[in-house]
Amino acid sequence: MTDTVVEAPVIKARNLAKSFGKFQALKGVSFEIPLGRIVGVIGANGAGKTTMLNAVLGLSSYDGQLSVLGLDPSKKRDALMKDVCFISDVATLPKWMKVSEVLDFVESVHPKFDRPKALDFLSRTKIPQDRKVRALSKGMVVQLHLAVVMSIDAKLLVLDEPTLGLDIMFRKQFYQSLLEEYFDESRTVIITTHQVEEIEHILTDVIFLKDGDIVVEAQMDTLTQQFIELQVAPGKEKEALALNPISTGSSFGKSTCVYKNQDHETLANLGETRRLGLADIFVATMTGEPQ
Amino acid sequence: MKTFAALIKREVLDGKNGYILVPLILTGITLALVVLSSLGVGNILHFDGMAENGITNLADALNQTVQQEPGEMAAGVTLLYWTTGLSWIALPFVIFFSLLGTLYEERRDRSILFWKAMPVADWQEVLAKLFTPLVLAPLMFLAVAIAAQLFTALFLSLIMIFQGGPVLELWPLGLMISSWFAFMAHYLLWALWALPVLAWLLFVSSFAGRMPFLWAILTPVVLVVVEGMFLKSSIVGNWLGTHLGGWQDHATTRLDHDIDGPRDILNIVIGDIQWDSLTYSIASAQFWLGIIIAAGFIFGAIEMRKRAI
Repeated sequence: MTDTVVEAPVIKARNLAKSFGKFQALKGVSFEIPLGRIVGVIGANGAGKTTMLNAVLGLSSYDGQLSVLGLDPSKKRDALMKDVCFISDVATLPKWMKVSEVLDFVESVHPKFDRPKALDFLSRTKIPQDRKVRALSKGMVVQLHLAVVMSIDAKLLVLDEPTLGLDIMFRKQFYQSLLEEYFDESRTVIITTHQVEEIEHILTDVIFLKDGDIVVEAQMDTLTQQFIELQVAPGKEKEALALNPISTGSSFGKSTCVYKNQDHETLANLGETRRLGLADIFVATMTGEPQ
Repeated sequence: MKTFAALIKREVLDGKNGYILVPLILTGITLALVVLSSLGVGNILHFDGMAENGITNLADALNQTVQQEPGEMAAGVTLLYWTTGLSWIALPFVIFFSLLGTLYEERRDRSILFWKAMPVADWQEVLAKLFTPLVLAPLMFLAVAIAAQLFTALFLSLIMIFQGGPVLELWPLGLMISSWFAFMAHYLLWALWALPVLAWLLFVSSFAGRMPFLWAILTPVVLVVVEGMFLKSSIVGNWLGTHLGGWQDHATTRLDHDIDGPRDILNIVIGDIQWDSLTYSIASAQFWLGIIIAAGFIFGAIEMRKRAI
């Protein structure tokens, strides 16, 4: 297949905003997401993650400009869903349906659904096809949903808290199969989750949301290079503080400082340095002074 | 078309209790009664107190009827078979609760988020949810009723074979088939008249945050009461009555004719009533106004479905 037309971004948002009454859930954000990325959208509860994703998926109205795969999601949700897939919450599969009936339904309404592929995914699980969704365990429901979604040849997959309430074994497996069997350069995946540590190694890009605003939009590599945590050597505290750390703290009796965009060698002279994990970067960005 | 068929199949699966089990069970009970009353109680097999007319069992009765009233037999048998169609009384309830629940339940159990991940437009979903209870449900009920009629005919034929009665006369297939079509035609016209009320149910289902039943029932009740209290009139009530079946009083003036025997009844039911009803409806401004109101509610339901999460 030659995909020459895919140079345009998958999502293009200009001043995307949404209010619920007086509450501004999304305060005019602009961003672009190209093809072939795995983007983590990270923010505290109520930061606007789901609001943003619902707009992208055509599930809600919005102000501002938004184009997903060249379509206006609020007007063309049905056309958009040929190339976009999402799991917006755990347990949205119809509970009264049998597993095989779910597959039947998707097969007959979705032109890009590959049933043999879904059956292959399911054969690796313990899900019985004649069972009703209601009778499956929580983990099985997610496995089924994922099997369905990963068998749809979509360009954009949106996962909003896909693993909420599942045990760690399953979550690991989930992200592994997502990475190994689904993702490639012709697709983009957007994930939101609270378990940041579990997805940081698969992300290529991150977006941090705070109170309806994008505070960070960066590639993972760039971002992790920007933030350095310094364990200040005894006696160097003053010098360390003079370099404007974005946050300070202490661990094991030593004071620690987190820096953004600070020269690595300068810091190395003041103590031990290490890269920050995404969760720490998130916390540092949210609690630290505005850059 | 493939999509629409899949949507309807899903609706049937979702509501299979109402669409399939209810008519099956009710018809099963009716047929059981028919069989039991024939075999057990014996009133059909062996008539007491009519022996002086030379009638000792059902075969005798039918044989005499065929001799005395040859023209009435086919129509009489056809009407007799319809008495097994008792399950029809459940159909309005099935339609009511299907329409009221369909757009409400998918929001309540969050499955709407799954349906919305499919490349299916909201108008298609809403139309499927209207079409299934309105057209498919009565077809299912009719299918079960037909099966019940054929079963009854077969059962009575067996009795006749043993008792030596008329068998061929128990199979007025032409009339039976006409009656099936007449029933469906009349139902469809009834549904079109009732469409504003039925579409209202669908609309309630699309927006009610909770208790759609109360919304659906209380709104018209409050309207009727308020109108009666302040305007001393009953326009809303009359309007509802007319659309839910009252229109038939005006449409079927020919029922005043002399009716002499089952043949006349069937002729009216199959022929005259259908034709009169159709011409009356097409010429009725209220009929068309109702259709327009229904279109408004359906449009409203589609718009609500677009916004629902």
